[in-house]
Amino acid sequence: MSPVTAMYVAQAIHGLTYGMLLFLVASGLTLIFGMMGILNLAHASFFMLSAYFCYQVVAWTDSFWMALILAPLGTGLIGVFVERFLLRKVQQYNLGHIGDLLLTLGIALVIAEGVKTIWGTESHQVVIPPSLEGLVSVAGLEYPIYRLFIIGLAAAILSALAFILYKTRLGMIIRAAVSDADMVSALGINMPRVFMFVFGVGTIMAGVAGVAAAPMLTVFPGLADQIGLDAFVVVVVGGFGSLFGAVVVSLFLGELNAFGIQFIPRLAPVLVFLFMALVLSFKPMGFFGERDD
Amino acid sequence: MIKSKRNLALWVVFLAAAGIAPHVLGIVKTNVLVELAGFVLYAVSLNLLLSYTGVLSFGHALFYGVGAYTTALLLYHVEGFPVIGALLLSGLAAGVIGLILSPLLVRVTGTAFAMLTLAFGQLMFILCLKFREVTGGEDGIAGYDVPNLNIPGIASFDMLDPTVFYYFALAVCVIGVLIMWYITKTPLGQVVVGIRDNTLRVDYLGYKVPQTKAIVFAVSGFFAGIAGSLFALFQGIVSTDGVLHIMVSFYPIMAILIGGIGTFFGPILGSGILIVLEDLIMRYTERAELITGLLFIGVVLYAPGGLLWLWRGLMAKLFGSKSQPASEEVEA
Repeated sequence: MSPVTAMYVAQAIHGLTYGMLLFLVASGLTLIFGMMGILNLAHASFFMLSAYFCYQVVAWTDSFWMALILAPLGTGLIGVFVERFLLRKVQQYNLGHIGDLLLTLGIALVIAEGVKTIWGTESHQVVIPPSLEGLVSVAGLEYPIYRLFIIGLAAAILSALAFILYKTRLGMIIRAAVSDADMVSALGINMPRVFMFVFGVGTIMAGVAGVAAAPMLTVFPGLADQIGLDAFVVVVVGGFGSLFGAVVVSLFLGELNAFGIQFIPRLAPVLVFLFMALVLSFKPMGFFGERDD
Repeated sequence: MIKSKRNLALWVVFLAAAGIAPHVLGIVKTNVLVELAGFVLYAVSLNLLLSYTGVLSFGHALFYGVGAYTTALLLYHVEGFPVIGALLLSGLAAGVIGLILSPLLVRVTGTAFAMLTLAFGQLMFILCLKFREVTGGEDGIAGYDVPNLNIPGIASFDMLDPTVFYYFALAVCVIGVLIMWYITKTPLGQVVVGIRDNTLRVDYLGYKVPQTKAIVFAVSGFFAGIAGSLFALFQGIVSTDGVLHIMVSFYPIMAILIGGIGTFFGPILGSGILIVLEDLIMRYTERAELITGLLFIGVVLYAPGGLLWLWRGLMAKLFGSKSQPASEEVEA
């Protein structure tokens, strides 16, 4: 393989890795938004919180695999608590979207400052487990195993999610609720419980992404910034509530990011927002959006 | 008649209190008041969008930052540029940006509006960060002199004197707020409220909805730019983190929410509470944002209309007046 092709392939896999992480964060965000009409500004904060939990669990038990299970669950519990006791209360007031946005913004602030208070402002290293360390040779190209592991993990979760959404009764209810939650509720389904479930699963997925990202990006207070903003772009551009849109746009943004850094490093971060501004200006509902809000 | 007499008395008390404040409070607290004056102007300008037009902007720092950078660049490159000129040009620059963006902004409402403004705010943040030759990047622009405020033939004021600057900031703030208040009372202001409550109906009545909104964006941007300019004049340094960071967009939203959404004077109350509280908290802990965040959650949960509505509700209960708290008034 010529060096140029090798560079393109390596950059493409880099982009795929980030795109997959982004998908894990954005899919929860878009499902929550599609069903409940809540744009959860604290969603990326859960991603970061889980990375810190991962660091803590690894520090205690010395096992990354333990962290991969415990940290997302802990984060999911906090997410469920937030939904049950805070969001549900705000939804009763007639503040429209402003109430949800402001509440989740407040939660994001508290988490951002909370982790600084507990774990300090310096960045923490999480070591890659020995079994995932090192490089693997893919088609004549040396590539870190850990990044391939992230891609595999996210692909597995994507398949599981697609199976639940499209092949089970629960998935049918969730898809119905995305298009009209009131109607589903009128059919006698306990919507608050479904909301809580989706919110919990969404935060757990953000949590898994947080743990997966921890060894790669290190754990520090600004961890959520980029992926959080990118996840909003995915939700907005992909269409509020569309899982398919989230997959496509996440992968696209991952590649845009990777190749943007390669070719126009100075303007790479601008591309994402320029892309969102363009799409919003001409297709305010996003590419695959079904719901108009 | 009684009401206007009471209002007059309130104004006299306010101006007297504001007039003697720097002599009673000392320099440190006077500087807090200067900060407050700029912040009030900024919050009220955002409130034109949030409470009157009914759209939530997550990128108001864009206008604030443009204002601040305009002033800094003018004073840095043109020695002795008149202060008032810099102030007005900064507002104008921000207002023009508002006008330029308005064809895109008027197309969307609700969450899409919040996200679009967020995108523009972040775009400007990154651009200013990356184009170091012009903006100085992360370090920002510093070391420009603030010239004296000259009123030809009458007086010349030394802007580096904290007390003088306080009166200057106070004057800019009061004039700006009064102009915005006046605008909300004009027919244009009424049409804007109509657009918030029922866009379709206003459209059918023959009013030009996109153009009206564009004017509001420009006006709101103008005053946010003036507030940014005040910041640049006062701090003597303008950096991306200081004027364009996403938190700069969020702070006035907090002030509006704490004070009372859907009111004109609520944001002023909220700004006061936020700035004074922050000043107090900063003395005891570095984690000011933790407390503000908690306060914020508390307000959203327990006083969803803000403190002004809480107060009005209390008054209504005590004195049986008919003005009920109506937090439903604002819908995104």
